[in-house]
Amino acid sequence: MKTRILLPLAGIGLLALTGCTTVNTVENADKQGQRQMITDQRAITDASLGRKVSIVGVNQSMTPGGLLKVQVELENRTRSLQRFNYRFEWFDANGMQVTTVASALLPDQIEGKESKFIFGVAPNPNCKDFRVKFIEAQ
Amino acid sequence: MKSKIIFSLLAALPFVIGGCATNAHYVETGGRENVVSVNQINIQDYIQAANAAVNDLLASGALDRVATPPAVLAISRIVNNTGQQIDTDLLVKKIRVAVLNSGKAQTTTTMGLGGTAEDPMAKGLQQENEFKSDQKATRTPDFTLSGKIIETTARAGSTRQSTYSFQLSLTDSKTGLAVWEGEKEITKQGTRPSVGF
Repeated sequence: MKTRILLPLAGIGLLALTGCTTVNTVENADKQGQRQMITDQRAITDASLGRKVSIVGVNQSMTPGGLLKVQVELENRTRSLQRFNYRFEWFDANGMQVTTVASALLPDQIEGKESKFIFGVAPNPNCKDFRVKFIEAQ
Repeated sequence: MKSKIIFSLLAALPFVIGGCATNAHYVETGGRENVVSVNQINIQDYIQAANAAVNDLLASGALDRVATPPAVLAISRIVNNTGQQIDTDLLVKKIRVAVLNSGKAQTTTTMGLGGTAEDPMAKGLQQENEFKSDQKATRTPDFTLSGKIIETTARAGSTRQSTYSFQLSLTDSKTGLAVWEGEKEITKQGTRPSVGF
């Protein structure tokens, strides 16, 4: 009998400790802005991260100076905070990688059930393609 | 007999695990294996701050609003308001390299705060050329870049927290108005330095 009571309590305690906090949102229903979504190609090697932090979609636009701006929408499918790192890689018209400070590995986090955006700006106007890498935080 | 074998195996275990190699190895600068310290700015913090500033600056299009592109940029004062002795070039140089590679701006090395040139030899040669040709070759900078790095600390029990704010302003030298401003805050929390993020 004692164990029957203690076990659920321990479970609740564990949940409280791990901090399952999710995010409630509100936004305008009639959208004025139109996102220019692009077809993407994905390679998932870390299924665990892929299940937790999923890529919803990718959209792009051009900056006033003619630089490619890419925005990736992510969604945390779990109910707990997830930490991850990401890196934008940029490629010119010949497919050659352009490395700058814009290719740095950046840490980020996302709350439970939250949807958030990350964005990158091409380091120069010659950059035509991109790739975003996601790595689970240690 | 059994204990002798177990003892020998246990004795050999550290060598098997450790091997003969030393623990010194290369890691990617700004990568996951870098040391993270709560009470000081790490190299990955400068990289993150520079990345955010460059992304924001290029996206704003502020550098494109000049009569004769690319814009000319002069580096003004970057104030260190942290308790640490830091070289602000760890931040500024990354931004300079990125804006130069973007083709949006070039930084002058012959003009500096208080008339001090970053490259005195280039300044001397420039003045000599101007004297010989009797023409002013120096282009007045379109913009100046100034900023401040601020540290805020907090503590609760054994947990320490530090926030580093990297604030930057791009000022139009003709009007004296800030045409772009950026701020990146990096907060770190922990009880002791650790590896990775």
